[in-house]
Amino acid sequence: MGTLLLRRLLYSIPVLLVASFLMFWMVRTTFDPTARLRVSRDPAVIEEERERLGLNDSIFTQYRVWLGDFIRGDWGESSRTRQPVSEVIPQAFGNTLQLIVWGVLISALIAIGIGVYSALKQYSAGDYVFTGLTYVGISMPPFWFALIAIHFLAVAPQDWFGLSSPPVKFVGLHDVGSSGLNWDYLQHLILPVLTLSVQLMASWTRFQRSSTLDVLSSDYIRTARAKGVPRGRVIVRHAMRNSLIPLVTVIAVDAGLLFGGLIITETIFSIPGMGRLFFQSLLQGDVVVLEAWMLVVAIFILLFNLFADLAYGILDPRIRVQ
Amino acid sequence: MSDRFDQDQSVFATNVETLPGVPVEPGVPIEEGPAGAAEPVPLSQWQLFYRRFKRHKLGVASLVILILLFVMCYGADWIAPFPKGQQDLTPGSENQAPSWDHLFGTDQLGRDYFSEVLYAGQVSLRIGLTVAILSTLIGTIFGAIAGYFGGWVDQIIMRTTDLFLIVPAVAVLAVGQQRFGSSAATVSYVLAALLWMAIARIVRGQTLAVKEKEFVEAARAVGASGRRIVLRHILPNCIGPIVVNVTLAIAVAIIVESTLSFLGFGVGSSWGNLLNTARGNYDNNVHLLYFPGLAILLTVLCVNALGDGLRDALDPHAKH
Amino acid sequence: MAETDLTLDELQIETIPDRDTWRGPLLEVRGLSVSFPTDDGLVRAVDNLSFVLQDDEVLGIVGESGSGKTVTSLAILGLLPKTAQIGGEILFCGRNILGLTERALTPIRGDRIAMVFQDALAGLNPVMTVGWQIAEAVSVHQELEKSELADRVVELLALVGIPNPRERADQYPHEFSGGMRQRAMIAMSIANDPDVLIADEPTTALDVTIQAQVLDVLERVAEKTRSSILLITHDLGVVAGVADRVMVMYAGREAELGTVEEVFYKPSHPYTQGLLASLPRIDRRESERLHRIVGQPPSLIHVPSGCPFHPRCPEAEVPGVCVEERPPVVELSVTHVSACHFAERLHAGTAVPAADAPRDDEQAGS
Repeated sequence: MGTLLLRRLLYSIPVLLVASFLMFWMVRTTFDPTARLRVSRDPAVIEEERERLGLNDSIFTQYRVWLGDFIRGDWGESSRTRQPVSEVIPQAFGNTLQLIVWGVLISALIAIGIGVYSALKQYSAGDYVFTGLTYVGISMPPFWFALIAIHFLAVAPQDWFGLSSPPVKFVGLHDVGSSGLNWDYLQHLILPVLTLSVQLMASWTRFQRSSTLDVLSSDYIRTARAKGVPRGRVIVRHAMRNSLIPLVTVIAVDAGLLFGGLIITETIFSIPGMGRLFFQSLLQGDVVVLEAWMLVVAIFILLFNLFADLAYGILDPRIRVQ
Repeated sequence: MSDRFDQDQSVFATNVETLPGVPVEPGVPIEEGPAGAAEPVPLSQWQLFYRRFKRHKLGVASLVILILLFVMCYGADWIAPFPKGQQDLTPGSENQAPSWDHLFGTDQLGRDYFSEVLYAGQVSLRIGLTVAILSTLIGTIFGAIAGYFGGWVDQIIMRTTDLFLIVPAVAVLAVGQQRFGSSAATVSYVLAALLWMAIARIVRGQTLAVKEKEFVEAARAVGASGRRIVLRHILPNCIGPIVVNVTLAIAVAIIVESTLSFLGFGVGSSWGNLLNTARGNYDNNVHLLYFPGLAILLTVLCVNALGDGLRDALDPHAKH
Repeated sequence: MAETDLTLDELQIETIPDRDTWRGPLLEVRGLSVSFPTDDGLVRAVDNLSFVLQDDEVLGIVGESGSGKTVTSLAILGLLPKTAQIGGEILFCGRNILGLTERALTPIRGDRIAMVFQDALAGLNPVMTVGWQIAEAVSVHQELEKSELADRVVELLALVGIPNPRERADQYPHEFSGGMRQRAMIAMSIANDPDVLIADEPTTALDVTIQAQVLDVLERVAEKTRSSILLITHDLGVVAGVADRVMVMYAGREAELGTVEEVFYKPSHPYTQGLLASLPRIDRRESERLHRIVGQPPSLIHVPSGCPFHPRCPEAEVPGVCVEERPPVVELSVTHVSACHFAERLHAGTAVPAADAPRDDEQAGS
């Protein structure tokens, strides 16, 4: 088991390097780090700056230098905020992490519940309703849901009920002056978490339903019944246990992707996380931040992928290598 | 706990079709021969597929709706009540709620929203289709090659597709837009460049599965060349997942494109852009948000439903 | 199909007599019919089937795919899908267990009537150890201490001839070989000394050499637990070696039923005769072609009228009674019946001339 994981890790490093190089190349060649200096307009100054930043070297050398710096912990300075990137990113990361944790937790619980229920009561009215909802959930652009949610849950109720402030907040994670786990935090969390959950729930519910259906029609379930195991136990002990294994993998992978995938949600709700950081940096051409951001996100996606494999190996004895 | 499930013996649905004695191909009609002997008349592959597809009401309905959508959007020149981009400059005509004059209301510049949505649809739909076709073509070719030849060819192709798994897609695409420009064509290419990898993996998986089947061995035994085997034997058996993935690709492409446009990185005039503008001019005019979003939702919904219907029709025994 | 009330069902089960107190046949199937509605029509998988399983015997059920044998076995334990339309009666120790609810049947499944399935790899839960699964078979019916349970599991594994049972119990199904897996399934099924053991094609997925071993295990085990076995197979050789009586099924109905000697030496149904004749035999001349039954297995949706076998039957009267009337079940002896209009004629015709009579040491059908 351990050796398998180690091998997977080793195989992934070259892929990670290539991916990071490609992303680096794209960012470096899209934005000109000296653009801010154009104020000066003096070609000599610009050229000096270019030399200083190593921009005249080949892209490979630049990458090598940059990677070396990165590993050593020198992530550069944001051209937008003048803060060290090694502070900016972890800060943003922490905020995104909150969304991810809540979102994944809630979505997983609901998806498992509804998915199993739908499978058990296949073709019932409830099943049709939930299936319809999941269809809508995966077909809806998440940012659109966010906008509609803001309108109907925050803005419009103000008019309907004559409130002085919206019942759920949609800017940032806390009101000014407030912090910690409190009602205000909750009010701010609801909409963004809801937005990111909708897609996760829809997708995971479909998956779990399908997985459960597969398991329910398998031979070993029939064997369990033939042994005289009562129905409830068959469902919980045999069916659910087996049907959850693939879902765990999916959840792990999707969670990993969220680190770089909340760009819209954070932007709409002004949450100072990784997504918004990316967006702002992109708009401003903040190369330094972008380069580090790409690699950090890729690393986390990779880690979660590996974790998914690990989990699968632990849960399914057929995969465990002796 | 057993009480709750007591009425539901159907929970444990033994798949009727796999019980011995039940014909596995329900599409095979039986004819009575002269001495009462039953001689099955086989339907062709396509007839079987057609029959099965017709049964999937949702799939059929989705196909119809999609065709309607296409016709409406591409026929905008004839159908749209107002010409594209025509502004009504009379004051007070902007941001009107839906009415009989303006089915979807008007936008912040007084343009008829219904017409705007139709024209925007052309862009969104075209990009969706282009991306899907491109990525499927590339993905299928590489996937089949990887699956069939194996060895280092397989390794290289697989490592390449692993890239897709690791990179943050939307971020990369956004940067790509900046880098390569934002014409509809470029957007399509950049999207396709990322999407083909996912399809390649799936096709590779299918190829591997089919490769092991006996009829491939048989073909090889009679001396069929690799290319022939791939084209004539393996690919036709992968059609199921390929077709389904085309529809999935369309769905993903439309959503991602609208997302990028919404952020300001995409083409200038698709549904996503309409939403972006709408957000800026929101001011409680929620109808501006509704319609392009609903258009996207409806399209993607139908594409997904169609995909499910096709999958069921092409391979009713597939585990999804 | 009438659904009996919950408590009544359980009462029904509670009052099933012990095997030793009951004097009649252990299992009696009366007029069993099973149909499945499909998009193309009603599939009549089993059509008015009747047979009996006595104490301490092995009854083989033989037939080709689609003859209804597996459906019959599933019907006995109530494992058919809800869409199935089931009629008739299944009497276990005199009590009808057909149509009872899931909850009512649970106590007898695995305890008094047990089943061994064909594909042991698919039939065992892949994420649980074999020992755990066998232990479950015991613990749902008996209260045992953990250590007693473990001992019982080891005992069962040893009984079916699995070496190193204590280590093996902690292994997963995919770590067993095919033959061992099947033995484990058998161990699981006899865990509670069932009265009836239904073995649905237990050896079909195995190599011939392993087949013999597994059958041996089955026999031995049944002897020890005094279970009666309902052995379902399409292999006549298996039946000949192990069974006391045999029923040949065709198109969901019984074609012929009798002791092994009667059916193999005096086949009185054209289908049985065809089956036996198509067995390759070493003592035939090289130049003789293999005999076969012409035609295709019948559609169960449009079952041929009258006798379902008539399209393929060399003895059939077409047009005539074979097309018009469903053949009656003709009694040829106390134990031997055949569902053919010409059963008696065929039976008489099996009095073979001395020259062709099977020699004493010859095993029929193997």
